[in-house]
Amino acid sequence: MHGVKRVRYSREALEAKKQKEQAKLKEYLSLNDDVLAKRNAGDWSKDAFDLTTRVLHANAEFYTVWNYRRDILINSIFPNSSPSEVHDRIGDELSVTTSLLKQHPKVYGIWNHRRWCLANIPDGPSDTDLDGWRKTIWNKELYVVEKMLDADARNFHAWNYRRYVLANMPMKRPAQAELVYTTRKIEANFSNFSAWHQRSKVLTSLWEGGQLDPHKSKEEEFDLVKNAMYTDPGDQSVWIYHRWLVGAGNAYDILQREIASIQELLDEQPDSKWCMESLVFYKRLLLRHHARQLSEADRLSLTQECLRLLTGLQDIDPNRRQRYEDLAADVKKIN
Amino acid sequence: MSSSTSKLLIPLHVQYIQSLGESKDDLLYHLTAHLRMNAIYWGLTALNIMQHKDALSRTEMIDFVVSCWDDEAGAFGAHPDHDAHLHATLSAIQILIMQDALDRVDVDRVVKFILSLQQPSGVFAGDQWGEVDTRFLYCAVNALSLLGRLHELDVEKTVGYLRQCRNFDGGFGAVAGAESHAAMVFVCTAALAILDRLDEIDQETLGWWLAERQLPNGGLNGRPEKLEDVCYSFWVLSSMSILKKIRWVDADKLIGFILSAQETEHGGIADRPGDQPDVFHTHFGVAGLSLLGYPGLADLDPVYCMPAKIIERMGLRRDWEALPRKTE
Ligand SMILES: [Zn+2]
Repeated sequence: MHGVKRVRYSREALEAKKQKEQAKLKEYLSLNDDVLAKRNAGDWSKDAFDLTTRVLHANAEFYTVWNYRRDILINSIFPNSSPSEVHDRIGDELSVTTSLLKQHPKVYGIWNHRRWCLANIPDGPSDTDLDGWRKTIWNKELYVVEKMLDADARNFHAWNYRRYVLANMPMKRPAQAELVYTTRKIEANFSNFSAWHQRSKVLTSLWEGGQLDPHKSKEEEFDLVKNAMYTDPGDQSVWIYHRWLVGAGNAYDILQREIASIQELLDEQPDSKWCMESLVFYKRLLLRHHARQLSEADRLSLTQECLRLLTGLQDIDPNRRQRYEDLAADVKKIN
Repeated sequence: MSSSTSKLLIPLHVQYIQSLGESKDDLLYHLTAHLRMNAIYWGLTALNIMQHKDALSRTEMIDFVVSCWDDEAGAFGAHPDHDAHLHATLSAIQILIMQDALDRVDVDRVVKFILSLQQPSGVFAGDQWGEVDTRFLYCAVNALSLLGRLHELDVEKTVGYLRQCRNFDGGFGAVAGAESHAAMVFVCTAALAILDRLDEIDQETLGWWLAERQLPNGGLNGRPEKLEDVCYSFWVLSSMSILKKIRWVDADKLIGFILSAQETEHGGIADRPGDQPDVFHTHFGVAGLSLLGYPGLADLDPVYCMPAKIIERMGLRRDWEALPRKTE
């Protein structure tokens, strides 16, 4: 159970609450018994189907009832329906799940049923347009999932579903459109790491597919991140994304430039943990990958700078003191 | 924090777990029937860790587990008359092992059920309806290992899928392409530990990501810029134990946070202070405390999420490291 406030009841109030709950309990138990009895008897009637709707509205996590509902659809309703009726039925199923998702946006079983619906759209509307229904319904899914992400921009069920739709829809959307979507989500809230994550996936595929020039596009990303860092240097989403952009740190010039830029921010915000932590990380990348381009004096000063920052981090971020001690020991050992 | 919550209230939590089976006039009890098998596993494991493993009737529990057998599928459902599911099946096996009653299972049929759920990509479905994610992959790997049948698994295929779920931040998501999430980091890390393939993990980066889950109030969150929650104490700490980096969070502050989420009147632990307790958070809170070396608790194996003694006896212990047990 998540986020349910504890309420303290007096004995009388508790008794009253129990009384009130009794009616609900009785109703639920009879629904529960009915639906399981029908399921055990292999009842695939319209009544049984309607009963599953009622049970699922009372308890959307009841996976056995979702399974039973699909059994009725597959074994009884679909075989006795025309393709157009099956199409309408899928539409009804999607509506049921939409209204349930509004109440329970994090219930796996509802999202799962939606995926099952999409996989069961019949061919049609005609012999010459076999994918027509599929295209229309799948396209609408993106709209539904955007509504869900408007309500909770971090809902990972919704993001996973979004990626599933994008990857499987019959008429693919250009990946550029998804990049635009993540920009919109990030600009609405820099802390939305889910959107940054999605962006890293979309950009990777655009770079690999040759649809974007990696060099130019990375520079734009560095600008975006810098803007976010300066807006709220305490927001870890941005720093994690920045680490992805720098990657293995093979580009010496970029590494030096980013170090300088973070140093500048640290000068303005001398207590910024993320500036310090990132500086240690990037300076260590310099030492590890570019030692030959550095003078002996450079290497020594980088090492000392790392150790100084790690000492500072132990003070301002004591929760992770041991990690900073371990890193310092490592820096000393290597250099 | 009041003085009453500066200690783990073991007798009260034992009572709380005992009382769960007696709340049959409570609507919530029936609304969670689809999780009953898991709830019993959570309750029993917590009792084991609190050194009260006999607080629930062994016979009744074994009878219940056996009554959840779905003979058509050849596996366990979460409740009598509920469909077989991989998650309920793992919980059933874990309960029977803790109760030393594994002889009540048709192991061959269960193994067949589990293996039949592996998809061409390497991931596992939870049941015949095909919902896939890394949680089910872990359930499969864990259960096969407990049953001594891991050699029947296509390890390369399984590890291949986990590799696809790995992100640049070192973590893992629920499916390929998904954002890193502490619960999925646990299932993927523990599965790789069971398969002896921790070399697939970028341990420095993941250790960093895990350490950054701790918030100023000591609690852990499951993803960047999210709220703390007691259950993440286990998902994060177990992964850190497996990577031998559990010292990278402040143990005392985290202990304080878990203890502050206790319900001090009727027992149980909630997701965070002031919320309604439940057996899930009670179990994961106690599990977290055990890994943090809290005094008076038994050792928990972070890979299998079962009493360490049992896993050791079965010869399945992997190379993990929890904090040393403190004395009162
Ligand atoms: Zn939780």
